[in-house]
Amino acid sequence: MLPKLAWRNIFRQKRRTVLTLMTMTGGFVLSSLSIGWMNGSYSSIILFFTNNRTGQIQVHHEGYLADQSIYSTIDNFEQVGSILDSLPDVRTWAPRIYTGALLALRPAGQSSNVFSSSAAASVIGIDPTREQEATGFSAQILEGEMLTVSDADTSLSSTGQILLGKELAITLEASVGDSLILLSQTANGAVADKRYVVVGTVSTGNTQIDRRTSYITLLDAQNLFALEGEAHEIAVLSRNLDEVDDLTATISGRLSGRNLETDSWKVFAKEFYNGMKADESSLEVMIFIIVLVAAMGVLNTVLMMVLERRREFGVMKAMGTRPGFIVRMIMLEANIMGFISILLGSIISTAGLLFLSKHGIVLDPPLDYGGAVFREMIASISPDCYWIPAICVMLTATIVSWIPALNAAHTEPAKALRTV
Amino acid sequence: MTNEKIIEAKGVIKTYDDSGVPVHAVRGIDYTLMRGEFTAIIGPSGSGKTTFLNVITGLDTPTEGEVWLSGRLLSKMSGNELSDFRRDHIGFVFQAYNLFPVLTVEENVEYIMLLQGVPKEERHSRVMSILEKVGLDDYAQRLPSRLSGGQQQRVAVARAMVSEPSLVIADEPTANLDSKTSGSLLDLMRQLNEDTGMTFLFSTHDEIVMKRAKKLVVLTDGKLDENNPPEEYE
Repeated sequence: MLPKLAWRNIFRQKRRTVLTLMTMTGGFVLSSLSIGWMNGSYSSIILFFTNNRTGQIQVHHEGYLADQSIYSTIDNFEQVGSILDSLPDVRTWAPRIYTGALLALRPAGQSSNVFSSSAAASVIGIDPTREQEATGFSAQILEGEMLTVSDADTSLSSTGQILLGKELAITLEASVGDSLILLSQTANGAVADKRYVVVGTVSTGNTQIDRRTSYITLLDAQNLFALEGEAHEIAVLSRNLDEVDDLTATISGRLSGRNLETDSWKVFAKEFYNGMKADESSLEVMIFIIVLVAAMGVLNTVLMMVLERRREFGVMKAMGTRPGFIVRMIMLEANIMGFISILLGSIISTAGLLFLSKHGIVLDPPLDYGGAVFREMIASISPDCYWIPAICVMLTATIVSWIPALNAAHTEPAKALRTV
Repeated sequence: MTNEKIIEAKGVIKTYDDSGVPVHAVRGIDYTLMRGEFTAIIGPSGSGKTTFLNVITGLDTPTEGEVWLSGRLLSKMSGNELSDFRRDHIGFVFQAYNLFPVLTVEENVEYIMLLQGVPKEERHSRVMSILEKVGLDDYAQRLPSRLSGGQQQRVAVARAMVSEPSLVIADEPTANLDSKTSGSLLDLMRQLNEDTGMTFLFSTHDEIVMKRAKKLVVLTDGKLDENNPPEEYE
C-alpha cells in the first residue's frame, strides 16, 4: 500500500511533478557533467605532466628527493630496469642523471678561450631511445634534432651533443651548430669540462624549466661526471593512471633492500598534486551549489505537496494511521522522484559525456596550468560521474523531505479536518 | 443495547484561541454513550457538535475534563496507542466524504484493514461484501472522482464499517446529500446497527437523521441543553 500510495501521489499534480523531476534531473546532469569534465581535465593535465616529463612513478636512491646530491645514485640501474621490465603494468622506464654546470658559449670562428656569454644550468643526462619511448621527448624539440647515441660522443676528448632549453638558448644567445663549454665537478671531485655542440633547442611548455635546463646523453653524463653505470632517477610510465598507487607499492616491494625509494607523482610532484587537490575542492563547492539549488526546488515541491494534502493527512490520522507511516510515505514520494531523476539524468549525462569525451571544448585562450598549455579539454566517463550525483540526489530528497514529512505526520486531525 | 460504556466524558471543556480571543466551544459536558446506541447530537451551527465529537474520539484534546473510551483514559494514551485504538475501534464518516483521491473504491475501503494487517484474501472478501451492502460492488475499481456525492458517502460509510469497529462517528454525514440519498444511507446505517449492534453517534441538524435516530442529544452553546434532556425513541 505504501509504495502504491506514494507512486500515485507523485502523479496527482503532473505539472509540478514534471517541474520537480526537471530540477532534480538538471542537478544530476550538471553534477555529472561537471565531474566528467573535471576528471577529464585532471586526467589530461596529469597525463600531460607525467607522460611528458616526470613519469608517474620515480625510483631514487633513499633520501635523494630531500637532498638531491650527485652522490645519491642508483647503482647498476640496468638491473633495476630489468626488474621493472618484468612487471606487466610498467609500460616503460627511462634513467636520468641530474647535475648542474656552467655553460659558456664560444661563438663560431672565435679562439678557444673567448666566450661571448655564460649561464648556470642544470644538466640532465638522458637515454635518447628510452626517453623517446617514455616521454616522446623529440616532440619537445623546437629547432634542430634529437640527441643521438654514439660511443664516440661519450669520449671526453670528443665533442658531445647538447640540447638547450628554449629560454636558456636565448640567454646564451646560442643557436643550433654553436659550440659551448660545460664546466662542472665530477662525483669524485675532479673538474668536469667538455666541449659540446648545440644540436637543438627544447620547449617543454614550462618556461621556468626551459630557462635553466640542458640535456646531454646519459652515457655522456656518466663519463663526464664519473657516474659509470649509475643514474639519479628512473622515471616509470604506468599502463594505467588509475593503478599508479598499486604499481608504486609493487615496485617498492620488488626493490626492497636496495636502499632505493619508490614514489608516485603525488609525492615527488607534491606541489602539482596539491594544486590538483585544491582544484578538486572547487569542484566540490560547485557540486554543492548545484545540489543546493536543486534541493531548494525539491523542498518547495514537498512543502507544497504537504500543505495541499493537510486535510488528507488529518483523515489518515483520524482513521488510525501512525505518524511513522505518513513520514515514510512522504519520504518515499521524494525518493521515488529522486530515483526517476537519476534514471533520466543518467541517460542525458551519458549522451553529454560521450559527446564531450569525443569532441571536447576548445579553450580560447589556452589554459596554462603550471607551464603546461592546454588547448582542448575533453570529459572522461567514469563511475564517479554517476554514483556521486546519484547519492547527492537521494540524500537531498531524503533530507529535504524529512522536515515536511515530520510536519505532516504531526498534523492535528481536528485542525486539519477544519481546513478547506 | 448493552450496559457497556463506549464513551464517558466527564466535565469536558474545550477552549480555542482565535488570534488571542478565547473561543469556548465546549463548556463542560458530562456524557455517556452506551454500546449499541444509534444517537444523534443535534444543535445549530456553532453549538460545538463537531468539537465535542473530536474531543471524545481523541482527534482533539480537551482543555479540561476526562474522556474514557471503552474504559481507557484518552489522556494516558501515547500517540501511537491512540492511533491504534482509533484504527481498531472507531470508524469515521465525514461530512466531506474525505476519500483518498488516488485510491480506487476498493482500495479506499480496504485501507484500514491494510493498517490492521488483515490478509489479502480476507480483505478482498470483506470489502466486496460491504460494497455489496452499500450497493457499490460494481464500482470497486473506480476512483472517487468518478462517483456522485451520494456514492462517495456510501463508500465512506463502507470504509468506516468494513473493519467492524465498535463505534462509528458520523459528523454531518448527510450535509452534502439530497434527501433521498440521505434517507437510504441512514436506513443502511440503522440496519447495520440493528444487525450487528454497532454503535453510531452522529452530529447533525438534518431532520432525516433526527427521525431515524434512536436517541437525540441537544447541544446548545457548547453545553448539553438542560431544557432538552436526551430523548430515546425505539
